[in-house]
Amino acid sequence: MPSANSEQVTIVSIYPALLGTYGDAGNVLALRHRAALHGLEARIIEVAAGEPIPAQGDLYVLGGGEDSAQTAAARGISADGNLASAAAGGAAVLAICAGYQLLGEYFPDATGQPATGLGMIDIRTDRLPRRAVGELAAESLIPGLPRLTGYENHGGATHLGAEVQPLARVLAGVGNGDGTEGAVAGHILGTYLHGPGLARNPALADLLLGWCIGRELEPIEEPDVEALREERLRTVLGEAWNRPA
Amino acid sequence: MPPTPFRTRAAVLAGRTASAASRLTGRGEGLVVGGKVILKVSPGAMRDLAGDRVAALVSATNGKTSTTRLLATAVGQTGPVVTQETGANMTDGVLSALAYGHPRGQAVLEVDEAYLPLILPDTRPRALLLGNLTRDQLDRMNEVAMVARKWRTMLESCPERTTVVANCDDPIVTWAARSAPRVLWVSAGQNWTADASVCLECGGLLRFGGVEGWRCTSCGQQRPEPAWRFQIDDGRFTAVGPDRRRFDLSDLALPGWFNAANATLALAAATDVLGLDARTSVQRMATVTAVSGRYEVRTIGALDVRLLLAKNPASWSELLTVMPPAPAPVIITINANDADGRDPSWLWDVPFEKLRGRTVIATGDRRRDLAVRLLHAGVDHVVIEDPYAPGVELPASARDLEVIDCAATYTAFHGLRTRADARTDPQTRRRKVRRAATRVVS
Ligand SMILES: [Zn+2]
Repeated sequence: MPSANSEQVTIVSIYPALLGTYGDAGNVLALRHRAALHGLEARIIEVAAGEPIPAQGDLYVLGGGEDSAQTAAARGISADGNLASAAAGGAAVLAICAGYQLLGEYFPDATGQPATGLGMIDIRTDRLPRRAVGELAAESLIPGLPRLTGYENHGGATHLGAEVQPLARVLAGVGNGDGTEGAVAGHILGTYLHGPGLARNPALADLLLGWCIGRELEPIEEPDVEALREERLRTVLGEAWNRPA
Repeated sequence: MPPTPFRTRAAVLAGRTASAASRLTGRGEGLVVGGKVILKVSPGAMRDLAGDRVAALVSATNGKTSTTRLLATAVGQTGPVVTQETGANMTDGVLSALAYGHPRGQAVLEVDEAYLPLILPDTRPRALLLGNLTRDQLDRMNEVAMVARKWRTMLESCPERTTVVANCDDPIVTWAARSAPRVLWVSAGQNWTADASVCLECGGLLRFGGVEGWRCTSCGQQRPEPAWRFQIDDGRFTAVGPDRRRFDLSDLALPGWFNAANATLALAAATDVLGLDARTSVQRMATVTAVSGRYEVRTIGALDVRLLLAKNPASWSELLTVMPPAPAPVIITINANDADGRDPSWLWDVPFEKLRGRTVIATGDRRRDLAVRLLHAGVDHVVIEDPYAPGVELPASARDLEVIDCAATYTAFHGLRTRADARTDPQTRRRKVRRAATRVVS
């Protein structure tokens, strides 16, 4: 129950109809759910394509989408300008798959030609030789974060520049395409984890919420979620699913 | 009709033998094997067998099997009809239906969206019904826009005798159908707009809503004026024809607004393209109770189960509306085999929040994904590997129900049908189907 003095987090879901093809709308549900568990009050703002993006968000969420949707989204966000300025002012950003790619310098459009990205993080995406489709498991490079699990479905090879850190080291699957997965720069986090990523990795949701309120959140485990994590990690890592790699 | 060429007659015979052999040895769908053999012996067999007798082809992401069954039943008022009984809707299934169905029957056939461009030129239907295009199984790279582009190219050289009957509430279908020379537009509803946010003409953004339906905010493309409309007036389903004649569709045995919308598409084709009597068509369509096992009540273990099939987020969203109201518990079975889509992330695009106030029994190979989804939707649930096993512990409310709804993904649905087949006595089943039908809410 949110009380008058509970901490509030404003979550802005950017173009959920354009960028939400792979169940990524679930990330916002997961953030709301985790916020409630931690006694935080989550305020959700959904921004439809064509509408202005509010400047006052604490956390901005971008999901995945098909090629034409990705290009349309990049145009809209770039013209609006508020996402880049909010992030420069310290707001957190979670970007999945197509959303992750479009934060960078360029990404492949529907014809495979480089399309101009938002240039918010130091990454460049071109095409993988073969589309990556399947379970993705990765060892987080952020201290204290448990092993990551998700489903990837993308054709992009993402190259990280000097100003970003990879989110994780791939144990199974493709990720960025060079053995790393995702990227972190300040409070901007990009990843290929669908599933949705935050429902399958609540610690990642807690990390983002923690960035918003300026303190670390205590881990809380839920049996349904732990059972799913174990099942998914087991399918690709076998008996060693929870042993250090 | 000219006599069927010898080569094709021989091919049909060979196909029949192969298909019987396949069934006898238990290697599954005889139809598919039969179709392959026919084409091998006579590559022109599709055109030969179709002749001029194909009344209609039906394609869509969702509802094609039901729409086909409804239209085939309406067309039955003029004589024998050839249609698939099993839902086999690719080249082999279409070919087998034509080869083994009544030799002079008019054909009403469902066709897989991706196979339609291959099948249309050889079958030359009088009506081509196009219902909707939404995302199906994403990991098959079956992107909606790609299918739409193929349809559009296909319709640029549409057979001369074909009238396209298209759902103009779906902007993707409309964009594809606009290239056809003769189109009968039907406003058949489309609640699912998540796959149609971008205009295929110009890449601009689409807006939905209002009496005019949808329009593009950049190039001004908008919903064409429909000749037929599906309406819900005070909870009653109605089809309104071009002359403002109204047809009450509330008495259909098939549940849900989407089946009444499918019936509107079928009625428009039956009346305005095939020249059939509208009243008789509606009466005949009302008698369709189950479609390839969907909506049938079967006994599985200790439970009597009404079997519901959904294949993608759009059809799941619709299916939730035919379930009895809370607190009635329901069983939901999620698999992620190839035919279901390997990635069940789509669970997060389905408004499972609608099931609040009841207990959901989560089962199937991916029951744990469903459990996490239901946790986030605030829906009470239990995870049970096999709710039909003897002695399994079920919520008391589930045991008390006379018939419990079980909604399942494709392979889960077929698994349940196979499991039920051996035991249910047809008489009990018919009685229960009637009872289940009367308690449907919309
Ligand atoms: Zn447009």
